[in-house]
Amino acid sequence: MSYMVIMPVVLPVLLGIVLLLVPERIFANRKILINMTGVSFLLCAALSCFVISGAAGDEFILISQILHKVPVFFIIDNLGRLFAGLVTLVFVLVGFFSLSYMQNEEHEKRYYGFYLITYGVIMGIDFAGNIVTLYLFYELMTIVSMPFVLHKGTKEAVMAGLKYLIYSFCGAYMALFGIFFLYQFVPVFSKGMGLGMPYVWAFEEGGWYVMGLAAESGNSGLALVAAFLMILGFGVKAGLFPLHAWLPTAHPVAPAPASAFLSGIIVKGGVFAIIRTVFYCFGADALRGTWVQLVWAVLAIVTLIMGSSLAFKEKVLKKRLAYSTVSNLSYILLGLSMLNTTAFVGSMLHVVFHAVIKSALFLFAGALIFNTGRTKVNDFIGLAGRMPILYWCYTIVSLGLIGIPPTSGLVSKWYLAVGCLESGLNGISWIGAAALLVSALLTAGYLLPISIKGFLYAPVDSSLITKYHEPSPLMLVPILIFAALTIFFGLCPAPLISFISGIAAPLM
Amino acid sequence: MMNTTIFAVIFPLLAAFAVWLIFRNKRLDRDRSVLAIVMLVISAVELAVVLCYLLCDWGFFGSGFFAAEIYVGVSGLGLHFIYTGFRGVFAVITAFAWFVTFLYAKEFMKNDTRVIRYDFFNLLTLGATMGIFYAADFFTLFFFFEMMSFTSFMWVAHRQTYASQYASGTYLGIAVAGGMAILMGIFIVYANFGTLEFEKLGTISVENTVPVLAAAVCMFLGFGAKAGAFPVHVWLPASYTEAPAPATTLLSAVLSKTGIFGLILITCELMPPLLWGSWGRLILIAGVITMVLGGIRAVMSGNLKTTIAYSSMSQIGFILVGIGMLALHGEFVEFLGQGRMFVTDEELASFYMTRNGVFLHMVNHSIVKLVLFLIAGVVFMNAGSYELNRVRGFGHGKPFLLVTFLLAACGVGGIPLFNGYVSKTLLHESIAEYAKLLGSVQGTMGVQGLSPAFVKAVEYLFLFSGGLTLAYMAKLFVVLFVERNEDTLLQDEYEGKKKYASVLSKAAIALCAVPIPLIGVLPNLVADSLATYGAEVSGGLSPFIEQVYYFSLNNLSGAVISVVVAVVVYLLVVRFLMLRRKNEGYHEIFPAWLDLEKYVYRDIFYRFFAFLLGIIARILDSIVDSIVVFLRKTVYKDRPIPYTLPEGNRMTHLLGKGMENVYRIYCAARKKEYRAKRYEHKLALRSMDLFENMRIIERSLSFGLFMFCVGLGLTMIYLLLVN
Repeated sequence: MSYMVIMPVVLPVLLGIVLLLVPERIFANRKILINMTGVSFLLCAALSCFVISGAAGDEFILISQILHKVPVFFIIDNLGRLFAGLVTLVFVLVGFFSLSYMQNEEHEKRYYGFYLITYGVIMGIDFAGNIVTLYLFYELMTIVSMPFVLHKGTKEAVMAGLKYLIYSFCGAYMALFGIFFLYQFVPVFSKGMGLGMPYVWAFEEGGWYVMGLAAESGNSGLALVAAFLMILGFGVKAGLFPLHAWLPTAHPVAPAPASAFLSGIIVKGGVFAIIRTVFYCFGADALRGTWVQLVWAVLAIVTLIMGSSLAFKEKVLKKRLAYSTVSNLSYILLGLSMLNTTAFVGSMLHVVFHAVIKSALFLFAGALIFNTGRTKVNDFIGLAGRMPILYWCYTIVSLGLIGIPPTSGLVSKWYLAVGCLESGLNGISWIGAAALLVSALLTAGYLLPISIKGFLYAPVDSSLITKYHEPSPLMLVPILIFAALTIFFGLCPAPLISFISGIAAPLM
Repeated sequence: MMNTTIFAVIFPLLAAFAVWLIFRNKRLDRDRSVLAIVMLVISAVELAVVLCYLLCDWGFFGSGFFAAEIYVGVSGLGLHFIYTGFRGVFAVITAFAWFVTFLYAKEFMKNDTRVIRYDFFNLLTLGATMGIFYAADFFTLFFFFEMMSFTSFMWVAHRQTYASQYASGTYLGIAVAGGMAILMGIFIVYANFGTLEFEKLGTISVENTVPVLAAAVCMFLGFGAKAGAFPVHVWLPASYTEAPAPATTLLSAVLSKTGIFGLILITCELMPPLLWGSWGRLILIAGVITMVLGGIRAVMSGNLKTTIAYSSMSQIGFILVGIGMLALHGEFVEFLGQGRMFVTDEELASFYMTRNGVFLHMVNHSIVKLVLFLIAGVVFMNAGSYELNRVRGFGHGKPFLLVTFLLAACGVGGIPLFNGYVSKTLLHESIAEYAKLLGSVQGTMGVQGLSPAFVKAVEYLFLFSGGLTLAYMAKLFVVLFVERNEDTLLQDEYEGKKKYASVLSKAAIALCAVPIPLIGVLPNLVADSLATYGAEVSGGLSPFIEQVYYFSLNNLSGAVISVVVAVVVYLLVVRFLMLRRKNEGYHEIFPAWLDLEKYVYRDIFYRFFAFLLGIIARILDSIVDSIVVFLRKTVYKDRPIPYTLPEGNRMTHLLGKGMENVYRIYCAARKKEYRAKRYEHKLALRSMDLFENMRIIERSLSFGLFMFCVGLGLTMIYLLLVN
């Protein structure tokens, strides 16, 4: 038990608050702000890496009970490590990109402040040791990420912000119902025993004995309803149909790096919460073969086809990418809903790969918007000659999202589809695998034309084009790193796969 | 030796990046020939390496197989490579094709500004193709197949004209969709068999054959697309026509064979014997349609390169027929023959003969198409067009072109003493033998072979397509070498051209043309031993089969039938229909509304289905939002802000409005002019008066006394009532 464990949560939040409170006039010179923020990013990331490595111990209890005998409790397990590492990676790279991108936007300081706070809060989600702590930080995340959507302050942005808030809270209340229900089934013996706290209500690999206890008290039907509501509720963040509509509204109005962080990381908060609920509270066995699993899988399939089709038809680049996020998150949820090891590995792989790829795609969109000031897909025809490196990176990550070897997307799709077929759910297993491929086809349809038209078509307005050029290194290098990671994970994902298999094994 | 197979795959990939890094910033005008020579060296090294594998294996082991299985831990599943005779032969053909096209490209691409990009993707494609041919499991096959699809996309898109953008769009669409279909098939195989390795797949027997057949059909769509098989051939003509000539050569000679290779692997390694019958029938039908349709469109085409492109499709159809027959012969050996309790040598021999025929026709087609597309490229370099009317008479006074073209035309047409005759004879024999075998078991219990009439029809269509092949080759020959151009100035220019191709280009064509008569004249020596070494796809030598008498009367008669068909078709279709309009030369006669690509794939699959999906998705997308809007318009509607009346009270307002309306109706009824009486106002004034009077009364002493009296009176009444 060590206080270091919560430092990755506390430090960014403190730094962010300091940044917000310091008056604007101190940063009359933009360089000071940039340097300070950059150093803060590195400091937070370094601290997180230290804690993730496990050198700081892995459990911590904050002695303050928010529910009866339920404290705020942190634990660092491998699942948390995976997510926290991913968050830190994307946080640093997107952060440095935004240092260059945000010079054209107003309220820069406010943006960096909330960016740091959001990072801290997400680390809180990843290290949360029980469902109540998780819920606490989950709600906090919704609130502190709201300023990203509101950033521009236009009417459109405010409406999008309200939509984001309403959808998120709708989901959170559904989840809250589930938590209240779970409260009756607090395991008497749990990890907290060793720490002198009998009821920390810690997550258990493979879940508690919820269904057994619920059946004893004659509430097994209600228990399933509670599980379903929690999946649906946390699924709002993960863009699960029918409550996905906030995503394509909120993403285009946020600044591009914020969209990258929203789409790469914040939406994964929902996925993380679902994993904790299903595999660490209810347990995979409790849901296997029930209507909950079936409905969950069907919703995921509907979402993934719907998201791809809408992205295929969309003309605004960032909106297209947002619909693509809806679709890809449902790959992950479909994999989780299969409740077997292979599909779980596929889902976790896709969490990592999608975070990397989608961040790169939004940063690409950001670089183009920064350069040209335009947003429609057809405004970017023939630009690749002026910015070849940017477009090559885009092509590589697009191939990754479609799942073309030797990029990473193929690996995750392989595990997901084989997991679907292994699940033995009548009909769903086949339809799921086929839906993945149809969606991949549509993905090719909405991503590749941008690259092809960029490289091979003549620009619409050739007089304008000479003033465009490759973005600055601060913007280009993060995208390059993401693209390199896409290829790297495609060629040797074996260490990652074995790490995830280690997480998955005790859960099933 | 064991682990070097991978070198052939890795080397071109690394070389591609090296070349790109070195030449990326160089000025092309100076370094163009250096680049061409570097490419030539790279492909020569590659050719030497794969030839070395082949010779080492054939010479020292003589086995057609050596265990060069290599595992590379890529993508979590690993890449497996293996060497067998079949793979060795096709690796050599691949490297050879690349070598000659680089030899040729030095001249052909000499004015191209994007030659570095072309070379970069060319080398990547070479590496990927080697990966396909050396693959030891389906995952490796898929891995390199997708790579090859995407890198070869740049060939089709190379010229960046509108037509090439259109063609490359179709190419990419079919390639991605086909890739996904293959992936689906592989998923199903993996879920059912638990492995993807070819060696192990053959040994596993499955009870439920339906998923396996589904997997095979999915993979047929993907591999067949690359080969150019019937329902998924639509990309082929436009892409072949749009790609630069050296690239088209590779597309036709090598890349189409990768698709065929995939189909052979499915047939020989994946299919359980139970399914050979239905699988064979499927491939046979697709093959027959491909063969006939390709031939018909080739005859009717008015473009040199498109004709050769459709010729490729038709020849692929021949190979597919062969694969179908292979599966059917396999089924016969396994099941149908069992009705007699034993398998005769004759049955086994015809099985092996079919396999040899398929293998040899693949080899022959590669060689012939190398020559034909390279010659088409030479014509294009000089005439600047592929249109038949434009290139008419080009070949006059060019004996080198005449000889090589004639060799290739006879080779592909199946004229005796040329290579195509050998393989076509084997394939024809295979169909004829099958009909005979089928006849021998007719009436036996439990026989469910094809109907004899169907087999007979296939045989005649086979010969008919052979005739079509000869007819369109004759069309090209007459156009190039016999007829003269209508434009006499152009004709003089053509005839004056003596330096129409560089020595290197001519050498490339000559190198490819040499094996054509070699195989054709000495079939038993060259063709049979090649087939013995390479025909067995999973390794090992083919068992010895009785020597085939290629030049027996029976076999020659097939060629004669084809020639007769050719003469009839040529006279009827080309001379009569295509040249019907005087002074307009050749024109396309295939009806435009039968364009499968435009009206089925683009309109129905690409536009209509996307539109339908889009509508459904849009509805689903807006469900929650419309519920929110609906609630805001109804239940959660804002209450109107309360309205205070300027004068009077609610009672007078309502009463006054009512009286006003009654008066208005009265006026309307009596047809009087309506003039507002302002009842509302009047009533309000009246009520204010009343209200003020009431206040005065209320506050007076009299009213107090009056109320006191009322109270006393009530008390009195109460007392009276009580008592």
